[in-house]
Amino acid sequence: MRVSRVSLIVSLLLLTAAAPEMPFGSTAPELPPTVELQTFAPREAMPVLGQRVVEPDGKAVARLVDVLVDPDGRPVAAVLDFGGFMGVGIRKIAVHWSTLRFEPGEGTYRIILTLAPDEIKAAPEYRDPNKPAPVVMPTTPEHRPDPQ
Amino acid sequence: MPYQRAIKTSATRGLDLLNFCIAGEQTGFGPFVAVYLAARHWTQVEIGFALSLGTITAMVSQIPAGVLVDALRGKRKAAAAGTLAIGVCALLLAVWPAPLPVLTAQVLHGFASCVLTPGIAAVSLELVGHAALGERAGRNARFAALGNGLAAGAMGLLGSYVSEQAVFLLTAVLCVPALATLPFIDAKPQPPTRRAAIGGAGRAELVALLSDRRLLVFAACAVLFHLADAAMLPIAAGELTKRVGVHANLTIAACILAPQAVVALLSPWVGRTAARLGRRPLLLLGWASLPLRGVLLAVLPNPFLLVAVQALSGVSGAVFGVMVPVIADDVTLGTRRFNLCIGICGLAAFTGGALSTTLAGWLADAAGDPVAFLGLAVAGLVGTALVWLAMPETRAIEAVE
Repeated sequence: MRVSRVSLIVSLLLLTAAAPEMPFGSTAPELPPTVELQTFAPREAMPVLGQRVVEPDGKAVARLVDVLVDPDGRPVAAVLDFGGFMGVGIRKIAVHWSTLRFEPGEGTYRIILTLAPDEIKAAPEYRDPNKPAPVVMPTTPEHRPDPQ
Repeated sequence: MPYQRAIKTSATRGLDLLNFCIAGEQTGFGPFVAVYLAARHWTQVEIGFALSLGTITAMVSQIPAGVLVDALRGKRKAAAAGTLAIGVCALLLAVWPAPLPVLTAQVLHGFASCVLTPGIAAVSLELVGHAALGERAGRNARFAALGNGLAAGAMGLLGSYVSEQAVFLLTAVLCVPALATLPFIDAKPQPPTRRAAIGGAGRAELVALLSDRRLLVFAACAVLFHLADAAMLPIAAGELTKRVGVHANLTIAACILAPQAVVALLSPWVGRTAARLGRRPLLLLGWASLPLRGVLLAVLPNPFLLVAVQALSGVSGAVFGVMVPVIADDVTLGTRRFNLCIGICGLAAFTGGALSTTLAGWLADAAGDPVAFLGLAVAGLVGTALVWLAMPETRAIEAVE
């Protein structure tokens, strides 16, 4: 009883002392923040935004500029910038995430588009993020990404 | 008799090179900025914000920058400051593509461009005088088109084979020869007639300019010109990427370079003809080529003919590029409002261009590219009708100087 009263007073004192720095009423004394960490090597995880996308033969064909995710945060589609010269004539096309193959690596990571050029030509443009997005799906089995 | 000035060859060549370099510098800015920032891992939302910031700055700066250049005594200093500022923007983009420097560069570039366009026109006017401005404006447009075309080619190659960053390094480097030309462009003191009206009656002069029917009609024509023109190339190029495939970039490059070649060939003729026959015939030629191009783009079956049709934009481009300074000078002759007048035309052009991409994008979305082209053609047709019915001839009967 007595102990708990003392501890109550101490914690109240701590609270008032901490108040100017911690306006949101945290009662914890100042401890260095800790965080759960896991390290991913470049071959295990790679950045995608702004990366070039290549055809299977290695020819650069597009640039990945946005990722569409589902309500669980899983990637559904990638928005790719196709074509253009000096920024003129670019077509934005959303392709299903499974049409891309990712090859992470040390400095040489690649994103490979497995769709055929004709499938890209036929695709409608992705224009407005507020409207239903037309997403190009993998059609023929040979263009499906290799099952890992 | 028109007053003929003795102009040093070095000044003429210097002004040629200045136009060449500055047009080259400006080539890297524009849609390429979006490509560059995307490659630097910027998100679409951030890129949209940066580009809008540049556009809005350029729009609100047109008139203040014109007034500023009018007020400055040394027009060459204005041109120098603008050139240097654009070089700094390019360098910022190239070496420090973080949000603050990029946004600063966008704002600075928007303002500097608004100083530079009237600045070059003012330097040209000071050098050659009213009587020869048409011919000089033609020459300016020729060298600007050459600079723009060659820079687009070089930067396209650099962007594809070296790096996106190299494009802005080349842009920054181009500022050096541009600055080096300025000491050679030494205008003789202006003849007294031009100075006579300078001084008092500033406000009356301003009211007279802003209620000048010639300027108001021309500004409306400029809005319609860019409303018709601005979205045609992007939509046509998008169509090419769609029909030819993702490796259509060479064809798109041809769509960008061919009009510049036409401008380079045609501009001097436009300038001379404007002096000989008057402004109206050329305005009609330039504006009427817009609806023609719109209709051709809408009905064209073969994507490769797009290049030929896009070359038509060189005709309207040459006319617009030459006629803005010429008409601004006609309207403000004997006053000190030449650059304000160019700023007003610039604002009109910008407004039309911004509306064009929005409206045409909406039309293309709702009804397809051919309908968008036809909509743009209608804007061009209305503009042509306005030139035909309401635009007065602005050439003085006999040169005043």
